[in-house]
Amino acid sequence: MLGKLIKHEWKSTYKVGCLLLFAVVLITFMGWLAFQSPMWHNGGYRVTILDILSIVTIIMYVLLLIGVVYGVMIYVAVHFYRTMYTDQGYLIHTLPVTKHQILCSKILVSGLWMLFIGIGMTISVMMLFSSLIAAVMPAGYTLPEAWGEIWGTFGELSEFILYEFDLDILRSFVVLLICMLISPFTTVTILFGAISAGQFFTKVRVLMAIVCYIGILIVNNIFSSIAQNILILQASFGNYMDISTILNTIINIMIAVGLYVVSWLVISKKLNMQ
Amino acid sequence: MNGLIEITGLTKAYDARNIAVNNITLTLPKGKIIGLLGPNGSGKTTLIKMMNGLLTPTQGSIRINGREIGVETKAHVAYLPDRTYLAGNQRIEEILEYFCDFYADFSREKAVEMLKNLNIAPDAKMGILSKGTKEKVQLILVMSRKADLYILDEPIAGVDPAARDYILRTIINNYNPDATVLISTHLIGDIEQVLDEVIFMRYGHLVLYTSVDNIREQHGKSVDAYFREVFAC
Repeated sequence: MLGKLIKHEWKSTYKVGCLLLFAVVLITFMGWLAFQSPMWHNGGYRVTILDILSIVTIIMYVLLLIGVVYGVMIYVAVHFYRTMYTDQGYLIHTLPVTKHQILCSKILVSGLWMLFIGIGMTISVMMLFSSLIAAVMPAGYTLPEAWGEIWGTFGELSEFILYEFDLDILRSFVVLLICMLISPFTTVTILFGAISAGQFFTKVRVLMAIVCYIGILIVNNIFSSIAQNILILQASFGNYMDISTILNTIINIMIAVGLYVVSWLVISKKLNMQ
Repeated sequence: MNGLIEITGLTKAYDARNIAVNNITLTLPKGKIIGLLGPNGSGKTTLIKMMNGLLTPTQGSIRINGREIGVETKAHVAYLPDRTYLAGNQRIEEILEYFCDFYADFSREKAVEMLKNLNIAPDAKMGILSKGTKEKVQLILVMSRKADLYILDEPIAGVDPAARDYILRTIINNYNPDATVLISTHLIGDIEQVLDEVIFMRYGHLVLYTSVDNIREQHGKSVDAYFREVFAC
């Protein structure tokens, strides 16, 4: 049944998910256009209207990309609320499936969409960075040559960082990557838990869900700050970076597990569909 | 265990002063069409929601086929809520696929046949259908199952008399004869002729559970007339 739930959850979200991915593509194209302004190619001795447009477009690029991140979060939250706790919830809560199956299908599909958007944004930023390099690289260089040079410099820099700060860039990158892969799923679990916690209240449930979410974020930040303050006294810079990333992820996972239990309790022991 | 539904000491209190269902104990048999009757606010919908696991009882228990409300009971209960619960952007054929996937007793052929009889296009989106047509689609989904228990909450409220006739005909012609049908309504005159038994509820209390024949023989009245007498303001 879990497979069927995932299939139908995917079908009910893929249109908006694809739309958001398409938005990332459009925003990336917009960012690429920004670097086609003459200012980037010939030093920009005289500021033209195109140069101003270029700067405005880059600012728009950043804002829109942030908008997409919040857009996908708001979408998965609203979709979860509508399909679980409004009239549409009558369908899912009367299916012959377990509550764990319902929650897992929703967390998995929403987490995947957040992951895809995250990957899309990473590619977008890399492409924009590539456009910037292409725009400012000296005449006679090709883009692969410029990248090769950057990579070489990066290699030297990473050796220096390893020697000076005890920070292994490759190891840190792998740690960061693993944590970033886990993050979308913990984020949606926490989000869904906050929405479910709102159901403990008899009135203004949506408002209480928002209040719960803000409260959880504050608690999360307090725990992370305490852990980092303890850590900074005991570790080298390199170890601090890695352990800090891992610790934040562990705190997120613990909070997500707690809020998964809250969601499960609400839908199996405290469900009160109005 | 003789009954299909066994309700024991069931209470649902939203707060100390708002008790929607108050200490109901009841056993309902298999193979009957039962009217769950009462004025607005008598606790009919609350009772039905608890039977479907949409509300958590404050006290007491419900067992269907000897099992507590859960995955097993939901596989055998076909429920028609008193509201539109299907998303407006869903096409009817997508909803049919949904029901096929989750309910082993759902007959797609039967659903398509009923849709065809009503000239409802399977590729139509729920959002563009009229209120009455949405209710018919939801009823078709429920009656296309071969369930042990059909729970229909206000199936004829808010539709025109012609639609009422269609809905009642659909219920009578399509339910599994071995099953029990529980119909909640306050429009008694329209459904009286199909009922075997009735449950009267008022202010969350069980007032009466008896057969329709019993009311006619003992009180010499129709269920509708007797209901008006019991619930006279």
